[in-house]
Amino acid sequence: MKFSIQREELLKPVQLIVGAVERRQTMPILSNFLLRNVNGHLVITATDLELEVSATIDINPEGGSITIPGRKLLDICKSLQEGSDIQFSCSGEKVEIKSAKSRFSLATLAANEFPLVDEIAVDQTIAIDKHQLHSLIEDTSFAMAQQDVRYYLNGLMMEAEGGKLRTVATDGHRLSMAETNLDSSVPDRQVIVPKKAVQEFMRILSASNGNVDLAFSQNHLQANFGDIRFVTKLIDGKFPDYQRVVPEGHQYIASIEREILRSCLMRASILSNEKYRGVCLGFSENLLKIQAHNPEQEEAEEELDISYSGPELEIGFNVNYLVDVLNTIKSNEVHFYLQDTNSSLLIVCPEMENRKYVVMPMRL
Amino acid sequence: MSDRSIIHIDMDAFYASVEQRDFPEYRNKPLVVGGDPDHRGVVATCSYEARKFGIHSAMACATAKRKCPQAIFVRPRFQIYREISLQIQDILRKYTNIIEPLALDEAFLDVTEEIARAGSSMLIAKDIRQRIKRETRLTASAGVSYNKFLAKIASDRGKPDGLFYISSKEGLAFVKKLTICEFFGVGPATEEKMQGLGIYTGADLATWELEALQPIFGKSAQYYYNASRGIDTRAVEAGRLRKSVGTEDTFEVDLHFQDEMLKVFETQCIELEQQLKKFGGLGKTVTIKVKFSDFTQVTRSYSTKTGFRDAKSIIAVIPPLLENAVVKNLPVRLLGVSISNLVLDSEAIEDDQMPLW
Repeated sequence: MKFSIQREELLKPVQLIVGAVERRQTMPILSNFLLRNVNGHLVITATDLELEVSATIDINPEGGSITIPGRKLLDICKSLQEGSDIQFSCSGEKVEIKSAKSRFSLATLAANEFPLVDEIAVDQTIAIDKHQLHSLIEDTSFAMAQQDVRYYLNGLMMEAEGGKLRTVATDGHRLSMAETNLDSSVPDRQVIVPKKAVQEFMRILSASNGNVDLAFSQNHLQANFGDIRFVTKLIDGKFPDYQRVVPEGHQYIASIEREILRSCLMRASILSNEKYRGVCLGFSENLLKIQAHNPEQEEAEEELDISYSGPELEIGFNVNYLVDVLNTIKSNEVHFYLQDTNSSLLIVCPEMENRKYVVMPMRL
Repeated sequence: MSDRSIIHIDMDAFYASVEQRDFPEYRNKPLVVGGDPDHRGVVATCSYEARKFGIHSAMACATAKRKCPQAIFVRPRFQIYREISLQIQDILRKYTNIIEPLALDEAFLDVTEEIARAGSSMLIAKDIRQRIKRETRLTASAGVSYNKFLAKIASDRGKPDGLFYISSKEGLAFVKKLTICEFFGVGPATEEKMQGLGIYTGADLATWELEALQPIFGKSAQYYYNASRGIDTRAVEAGRLRKSVGTEDTFEVDLHFQDEMLKVFETQCIELEQQLKKFGGLGKTVTIKVKFSDFTQVTRSYSTKTGFRDAKSIIAVIPPLLENAVVKNLPVRLLGVSISNLVLDSEAIEDDQMPLW
């Protein structure tokens, strides 16, 4: 393979796809990009066997496919001078990269051993505005579990249901849920997208324009953003019944200024147990008292004015779970729906009722 | 640690003796407490009359029946044994608070500090034995020595219904005469390993230097090295808590399908919830055990920071564990689940995150 390309034309797509490459590999070829000529265009692909991301670049390379160490290519590309031209050529076991007076000779691995995903059998597509999709994912994905043995929690649930597209994430202690109306009606479908794919998807979404077509097959989700094609395996598992844990009958509502609450919680959390992060929220008539203490018996106490007329209630929470929600919500005010010390807390933002956050208390 | 005065109390054929006490028709007869002899049960305990026929604990009940067709087989009544065990612990507590229960039927006591008051450790042991007999109508054997290892050896020498003392002068000579399987902690596997090295007795073991034992026995090397010299530095750990709760079932007919297995686990988890309730706390690690028809077994475990206290939260983590445990395409003869890393509610850090499901 032989081609010449301007640095910027290569750098941007490489930055978008490099996230698929794991830093530590079991198979050496997974640290490489595959470069091939597809219908007169250069297509660069990165994969970790679960997630495959390809970028199409509008140049017509000569000769057959090659593979190049991905992160090295990115680092070289980044460090070359802006606007410079880069020449690629391949001879035997090495790929040569030249730009002005710089020359790199990189090891290559056989292109036919690069594990590409087979053509996926798409059985449903959903077209959605890029900003809406970005917001759905951004507003929920923080609650995904980390390496939980309940593997189906280590991802984001995406669901088309009754003309809505919904995302739900939970680690078993807290849950976030967001939905938006779809322009056209589509059959109901629920999938779980792995955590890493969700994070890469977000990166690509932020950097691209226009609408997105989500295409589903039995085991894969594929998304095309103009020049970028994204394919991920889905998590094969049953997502828990999230509807059941979103409380509906909570009687007491506290209306709180988001930013003030967030700062109070951050301050109080300085003296909460590093491991368990418990803080106690005491609600009384128009007053919220936040208390934290650590094993050394040090204490923090914060008071803030709120709007609340329910009974006096004390509830313990992992402060991180509350702060995560308050960081995600953008409005000035949040509503806390409460029932009692042992029931979940529902947080909603009055201006965006299609976002819901449920946090389970801690026994204090 | 300087020499202590340690008593090891061991009930004689505990389960069997309880049955013979409560059911006069079993007395003076070979009695086996355990599983079903026509199926796959194993012997939990047997009466001394049954031991004469070569029956011993952990033997398959079917084998026991072959050895002694006239033996009476009964199922254990753990609830009763637990109650009696508590009764015995109450008795022991009258002598010292430094009590380390090893099982329902045995315990170590450190009476070093009580000797000034009671006269001697032998007098205390004698008194304990009499009191147990009077209050429970069951017999206990007691071993008295200057460390745990020798106290346990001594109680074994006293059995049944006896009292045996190993003084610090006799200790070393005693250990040298022991066969290797009499060492606490030496099971069939270690015994075989030791015999492979030409170690048959305490005297043989004492010829080995620590550096030579270490690569072979790892962490246990120090214990074996010390034990063969009559030394055991382990303290009686008063209030030593249960380390785990668990339950397991051997099936009459091997299981082939994971959904059947999950049903079994569901039932077991309900029992675990009861056990955790009784323990009064939660456990942070769930371990499942799967034994295949070829008797190989696999365990898989999973831990959380927040722990498990009810059946629902335990069963939730089992399917993926089971998926990982079924490493062979063989039917399964036994399934078990246990919870370890136990934390008492009273001592748990107050915080305790509740789950959504």
